[in-house]
Amino acid sequence: MAVIEIDNLSFDYKQLPVLSDLTVAVEQGNFWSILGPNGAGKSTLIRLLAGLLTPQKGSIKLHSKRLSLYKIRDLSRQVAMVCQEYVPAFGFTVLETISMARIGREGFVLFENENDKAIIRGAMEQTQITHLAQRKLNELSGGERQRVFIARALAQDTPILLLDEPTNHLDIKHQVYVFDLLKSLQKDQNKTVLAVTHDINLSCQYCDRVLLLGGAGRYEVGKPSEVIDIDRLKEYFGVEGHRGLIGKTPFFVPAGRFSGESDSGQ
Amino acid sequence: MSLAAGEIQLSMKTLTSGTMWRYIIVSIAGLLATAVICSLLGSEKVHFSRVWDGVFGQIEEGFNQDYIIYVQFRLPRIFLAGIVGAALACAGTVLQAILRNPLADPYLLGISSGAGLGTMLAVIGGLGATVLGISSITLLSFACALGTVWMVWLLGGRGYKSGMAGLLLAGVVVNAFLSAVIMFLNSIAAASQVQTTIFWLMGNITAIENTSLLWLSAGIVAMGIGVCTRFSVWLNLISFSPEEARLSGVNVRWLYQGCFAVSALITSVAVSLSGLVGFVGLIVPHGVRLLIGPDHRLLIPISALAGAAFVIVADTVARIVVPPAVMPVGVVTALAGGPFFLYLLVRFGKKLHFGD
Repeated sequence: MAVIEIDNLSFDYKQLPVLSDLTVAVEQGNFWSILGPNGAGKSTLIRLLAGLLTPQKGSIKLHSKRLSLYKIRDLSRQVAMVCQEYVPAFGFTVLETISMARIGREGFVLFENENDKAIIRGAMEQTQITHLAQRKLNELSGGERQRVFIARALAQDTPILLLDEPTNHLDIKHQVYVFDLLKSLQKDQNKTVLAVTHDINLSCQYCDRVLLLGGAGRYEVGKPSEVIDIDRLKEYFGVEGHRGLIGKTPFFVPAGRFSGESDSGQ
Repeated sequence: MSLAAGEIQLSMKTLTSGTMWRYIIVSIAGLLATAVICSLLGSEKVHFSRVWDGVFGQIEEGFNQDYIIYVQFRLPRIFLAGIVGAALACAGTVLQAILRNPLADPYLLGISSGAGLGTMLAVIGGLGATVLGISSITLLSFACALGTVWMVWLLGGRGYKSGMAGLLLAGVVVNAFLSAVIMFLNSIAAASQVQTTIFWLMGNITAIENTSLLWLSAGIVAMGIGVCTRFSVWLNLISFSPEEARLSGVNVRWLYQGCFAVSALITSVAVSLSGLVGFVGLIVPHGVRLLIGPDHRLLIPISALAGAAFVIVADTVARIVVPPAVMPVGVVTALAGGPFFLYLLVRFGKKLHFGD
């Protein structure tokens, strides 16, 4: 059953169209990656799905109910989102930051109960940051901080998880780690995961579906092996490259004007 | 191994209601101790045994001067200083959170100049009348403070999406404009009237005989602090970003309006009672934050209590430092607060958040 139905969705910033006539349905428990060049509307789409923006045309339905009809609090129990980075004005600790995810739950007044604490602890264990609990956010490395915000989204305990470039600024080890984590959330907890990313190859290896946005109403949706195609990537990104297969999984290596002219090639 | 597990156990501690009440009770005890000590200090020496006699109604020959000084002058004045300090510190904490600006203070939004204009009009108009036992100066400054804040909200409030930068700008501009009006009125006023307004502009706490007004103000301020404490978990989220708060289920627009209304109300109460006591709303939240951390669940009640203690001490200094003359309490808070403000500016100046 489709948990998210996007129907004829259009959105523009001051007459500049970003998304137009997008129609996509996301199945419960799927892992999607949203790819596309800068300005194609990836972040806009994920923010529309999180309810931070309102569509100008078309509709987004969550469990067959229009997103705009959800109360803010009810929506926060369905959808959690990891934003791109920011630094808070005053120095909260990791534990305090993650605990804030519980504020929207039924009956929360001022303090976490035992159940909240168990969920918070679980989220920290899943992201392996329990040892950082009392550290201040601004003392952490980029990778650690990214895991803190993923943990916070997990602690919100929602069936749907949205991520805006979760592997930005991370080294390869942490990039793989984040995708492993997202995959395990999908497999173990049947979460629906949608991640905006620039990483075509990790998307191909981990995601069930790829949504490739091209701006100006162009988009392509399907299995990675169907969507990732040399001609299509050239059309969407304006970049040539080499496509290969590891088993049945495609990979893509971009090639520019001087590709192959590194010192090792001589 | 067991030690490591114990450490992790310890590090998972979050704020509980028990911890919060412990902090609050200790702070209340500190505040009461401060109030009692300050009540014993003054230019006139008060004999406690005679105050005691007065309390229990043992009539002596003549009148009991000690009792009158203590109960009719010092205690109401200390009570008033406490109300003013608590209101300003609470409003400052809330505004720093919703504006996400460490240099925000309760006067930023036009409250000060609005109330100042009200006072000026009352003084120049020679309105000596009282309504329901409340002086027209208090009433008019309260009304003008709320009116100005409302105007600032209308002019700049649409900017709640852009991090409230519009609100800040509207507040600054309205403040500047009304200050000019105040100065104009000042220059056409009689000398005796100027004295009153200058004291008011510097922040001046005097004994108010109307105890029902005191209790009413205390009630409003206490309720405001209670409401802000209820908001505190949401303020924690807002200090990350309004979007983050929304994603976690907070109705940001309502929160802004609620915080704005409550802090405007309690600041207006404080200002109409005491004039412009500067720096309290700025430095007390920062001082408390340095001590107990950024969690607003603690920060709001503790700042309010600390603010009360701070103004009580400042007012006591103002009472005793140049007897028999009186010094406006705002002079003391500004003398103590100015250098601290500069320290903050140097330390946090790089982290200023205006909008996004």
